[in-house]
Amino acid sequence: MGALQSLPGQPEYVDLAEKTGFSFEQIGVLHKRFKQLTHNEETLRRDHLNGIPDLACNPIRSQIIEAFFDRRNLRQNGEGVVEEIGFEDFLVVMSHFKPPKLHITEEQRESVRKEKLRFIFNMHDTDNDGTITLEEYRHVVEELLSLSETLEIDTAKSIADAAMLEVASISMGHMEPDEFYEGITFEHFLKLLNGFEIETRMNIRFLYMDTMNFCNGGQ
Amino acid sequence: MTWFTFPVDNLLCRCLSITITLWLTLLLVFTIVPAVLGVSLGVRRVYLRTLLKIFEWATSRMEMGAKEKNQELYKPYSNGIIAKEPPSSLQQEIQELRGSTSSLRSEPEFDMGDVFFFCRRGMESIVDDEVTTRFSAQELESWNLLTRSNYNFRHINVKLTVVWGLGVLIRYGVLLPLRVTLAVTGISLLLVLTSLVSLLPSRKLRSFLSEKIHLLCYRMCVRALTAIITYHNRQNKPKNGGICVANHTTPIDVIILANDGCYSMIGQIHGGLMGMIQRAMVKSSPHIWFDRSEVKDRHLVAKRLSDHVADKTKQPILIFPEGTCINNTSVMMFKKGSFEIGCTVYPVAIKYDPRFGDAFWNSSKFGLVSYLLRMMSSWAIVCSVWYLPPMKREEGEDAVQFANRVKAAIAAKGGLVDLVWDGGLKRAKVKDAFKEEQQKLYSKVLIGEQEQRDQSDNRHL
Repeated sequence: MGALQSLPGQPEYVDLAEKTGFSFEQIGVLHKRFKQLTHNEETLRRDHLNGIPDLACNPIRSQIIEAFFDRRNLRQNGEGVVEEIGFEDFLVVMSHFKPPKLHITEEQRESVRKEKLRFIFNMHDTDNDGTITLEEYRHVVEELLSLSETLEIDTAKSIADAAMLEVASISMGHMEPDEFYEGITFEHFLKLLNGFEIETRMNIRFLYMDTMNFCNGGQ
Repeated sequence: MTWFTFPVDNLLCRCLSITITLWLTLLLVFTIVPAVLGVSLGVRRVYLRTLLKIFEWATSRMEMGAKEKNQELYKPYSNGIIAKEPPSSLQQEIQELRGSTSSLRSEPEFDMGDVFFFCRRGMESIVDDEVTTRFSAQELESWNLLTRSNYNFRHINVKLTVVWGLGVLIRYGVLLPLRVTLAVTGISLLLVLTSLVSLLPSRKLRSFLSEKIHLLCYRMCVRALTAIITYHNRQNKPKNGGICVANHTTPIDVIILANDGCYSMIGQIHGGLMGMIQRAMVKSSPHIWFDRSEVKDRHLVAKRLSDHVADKTKQPILIFPEGTCINNTSVMMFKKGSFEIGCTVYPVAIKYDPRFGDAFWNSSKFGLVSYLLRMMSSWAIVCSVWYLPPMKREEGEDAVQFANRVKAAIAAKGGLVDLVWDGGLKRAKVKDAFKEEQQKLYSKVLIGEQEQRDQSDNRHL
């Protein structure tokens, strides 16, 4: 009842800020949210995320939740999934969605883009073989569509197949009848989404902007 | 040595007895007598004003201290963390997404990019959503000298720490024992007097006296919590033969409402002290208590409710349709059971002022006893109660729509957010039906475009 609480000291945040690129303010906000989601425990588990009602409405909820526990997104060398993550790992996954800084070079922009696309690629490529096969692609399409009156299961399949064919034709050019398209590799994926402005579309818009941005150069 | 200790002992005894007498006199004059007579001396409002001045001073000192050390003062984000854009339909967002690649494709179809939309939405719900925040206590903008509601407390300066220390002393050393004494007196009076009254033969006399007794005991309990309540629109107070519904923040809601009028409570029979109080209450006035087994039987509950309501001599029933405690920033879904009965509903909005003590009971964090102790060691509980004009179910309206109408009225009056979500989400998960809704929407978008493509195919052929 009388314990003195103190805000996590700034030195801890400095490390996290360097590693993930969030500002101190954003880290503070996310830390509070992390504690709220885990009910003040140290680690986050899948059922903590399952308890968010808004998320439960999302058709690809399970993929999004899996993405948090996927070693590839946690920048750990290794494969497979972990069962629970700490705040640092949470921030690392979130950093894929951080808003872009105002002044970055073309090179940095390219690497940010690649990182975000890698995240989405990992979400599709569930068996981690480096390609998105037809099965995996079909699975995503089916998750997004509803298996109900609006759509029959065959229609869903055919939509997925058509999309896959389109992808194959773009990446491989003309295929022989007996050639087998294994799947979309990361390079193909990049090519596919070449015109897509993912840097601006795939980020979380924090209400309170990083004050440091305003100080530099004032745009 | 004995002659030396004797006078000291004497002195000690005398001091002690003087303190106790003083304390009891103060208690008697300032709280018990006014409670019995139903009169208010205005002491509590003066107390409030003084407290507010002290809080403002404390916050300004903290801000000054933070500025000196060039640190950020943690300000809670009351508007949410994410800038949500004005809600656009699924269709618009997806078309916007695809617009950026329209140079590459001529035909609309399933696009890998569609996944981004759902992904981003998912991430946004993880960072900030409307529901999970309602199940933990609200955050304050100024500090009220209670460490439990403060995130910034560091040793900013000596004066502030001294004041805080004084505050702790006063709260735990003076206020808490005082309040506990009052509460104990109030409850024992209730038990004793209701048993006495139940022995009387005449029914009219019994109900008259029991009303007075209940009011007396609730007034004592209110003083035991130092609750300062402002009632608005008392002309709309619930009358006999109706149901009173209110938003639920804490078990203390009952005391706050019953302080101003007599209600019949409805609930499950507990054991122990609560059970004793329940049994004592029912001896002198009609309350509806259920056994654990009867609670599941909806028809039985509905029948007892309607029987009670049909009898115009019985007091209005007090019901909290949310079913669970919410943190007083919003009103969640009302369960339709009480709205199916078809009698007049008297809505009441209760809003607590969190500056003096947060009244929300987070049942997953604190048990009832530790919650009550926290309440009794806060500065005060300040709240406003609005009585809304009675509502009846209209033609062609079903119970759910009626419940939503009442909910909207309560939320509007109390300045709370009106949410569609079920308070039961505190412990349970969302039904899959919601996920299917989103899926249906998305597939409709695709089908529409699929048809377009078929048509364009036909044209090519």
